[in-house]
Amino acid sequence: MIFEIGLALGLIALGGLISAKLRFSVIPFYILIGMAVGPHATELWHFDFRFIDSAPFIDFMGRIGVLFLLFYLGLEFSVGRLVKSGKSIVVGGSIYIGINFTLGLLLGFLGGFPVAEALVIAGITTISSSAIVAKVLVDLKRTANPETEMILGITMFEDIFLAVYISILSGFVLSDSNSLGGVLLSALVSLGFMLAIIILGRKAVPLLNKWLRIRSNELFGLVIFGALFLIAGFSETIHVAEAIGALLVGLVLAETEHAKRIEHLIMPFRDFFGAVFFFSFGLSIDPMSLGGNAVWLALAAVVITFAGNFSAGMLAGRTANLSPKASANIGLTILSRGEFSIILANLGKDGGLMDILQPFSAIYVLILAILGPILTKQSPHVYAFMNRLFKFKDRRVPKEEAL
Amino acid sequence: MMEIRESILPGIGMKYQMDTASGDRIVIVIHDDGRRELYHFSREDDDQSHLIATLEDQEARQFAALVGGMVYKPKQLESVEMAFDDLTIEWYRIEAHFGCVGKTIGELHIRQNSGASVIALIDKKKGKLINPGPDAVLGADATVVAVGEREQQKRFKQILMNGSG
Repeated sequence: MIFEIGLALGLIALGGLISAKLRFSVIPFYILIGMAVGPHATELWHFDFRFIDSAPFIDFMGRIGVLFLLFYLGLEFSVGRLVKSGKSIVVGGSIYIGINFTLGLLLGFLGGFPVAEALVIAGITTISSSAIVAKVLVDLKRTANPETEMILGITMFEDIFLAVYISILSGFVLSDSNSLGGVLLSALVSLGFMLAIIILGRKAVPLLNKWLRIRSNELFGLVIFGALFLIAGFSETIHVAEAIGALLVGLVLAETEHAKRIEHLIMPFRDFFGAVFFFSFGLSIDPMSLGGNAVWLALAAVVITFAGNFSAGMLAGRTANLSPKASANIGLTILSRGEFSIILANLGKDGGLMDILQPFSAIYVLILAILGPILTKQSPHVYAFMNRLFKFKDRRVPKEEAL
Repeated sequence: MMEIRESILPGIGMKYQMDTASGDRIVIVIHDDGRRELYHFSREDDDQSHLIATLEDQEARQFAALVGGMVYKPKQLESVEMAFDDLTIEWYRIEAHFGCVGKTIGELHIRQNSGASVIALIDKKKGKLINPGPDAVLGADATVVAVGEREQQKRFKQILMNGSG
């Protein structure tokens, strides 16, 4: 058993090393490695690449990975920051979500999927990977550019959207009842639980500040982990996705003075268990079963995502008074998909939705996690090409007038 | 005064953009991991920034000290600033047209009206005067050194220029 886990971790590390060598995002490589092995693989000498005994355990580690990913998302997030970031970001974020969510829903319905599946598909295609986006900006030395605030603002906006969306969707997808009333009720329960925790948490901030003044790192870690798992586990018992519980704990702790310390504590765990999560996601997909509908759906999704992101970027850039070239960078940068799309696909699996969601999201994320950063890097060429097609006008207000 | 635009880059760090009097646009990005990056925008294309240098934390501090004139002070400088927390020490050169010329520190009620305190007076004719009393006269071309918070320094400068509180 330990040996199998060791083998899995070794493979994950190998995937990470390869991606670092090729200077690509790690997420698609973790998934690919996971897909390459599994029950369809063979046993070579002592190495059992089928991972039959350890699959449940790897799956469980992946589940913990989701908890950490969302807990960290909650920690990073602060309402104050969003308010401070200004009107143009809220406008830009709304434009982005509006266009891309509508396109995603359309894709779901036109593909002939029921409501629940269509909602999951729309979620998968709407949410960018904040991790990849931030990394690409830093790697390409674009952090100083004028459009950077808008790009990061939109991803921040998407994160909030994701938090709310996941809570509604999990009520919808995970509910036991089949009637509309029952579904609405469970969505309400999950929203109500969210609000209750946030309000209680806000009131408890001074108390939490005091309680968490623990000098020993070991005890501090235990308290945080205990709270995280207890609340996440409790959410599960009232049919709220455990991921939401983790997110909420993060949101509450983000307001305390210990947020930075918790971030430092959690980051290695998030990275480790997160990697296992992507691997286990890949493991759950049999590459032989790929093909046909899932591929076509994913390709269609990639096309509409490109169109939706590019046009949303151009519009958002114009509202923020950026040049067309800078605006093109917005859409081409937020194109990358990753962790959140996979989390949403996983939610679909937990809710027993159609099986096609997983291979679809795997192919979709694989394409955009690799293609996204490449297009970001080549954005001047892409812009030149699109400019020849559409002839963008620079509608910026001249500086003198703006003053 | 030069305008510095400050913005948060969530997940990355802080960004400071300044447009200098000479027409340059410089951006400093401070990463959460301590790295600093200096960017410059070309004058033809204000969309594309160019990385000038990436500095580690230690290098950035040394760089700042050099740029800030802590190692070598340019002789031409009229007012030099040193900061201790909120308190700053500033040098002011009294121009002949200033309202305070010929008046004493006591007459101007400097400490009561500005909150800043004069700690030295350097006059070409009378020489250096450390911690001058209320009867010290502020002459043209003298340099006064005052300690106070930023707001107090601002009011102090007003008093020097207008000759009253």
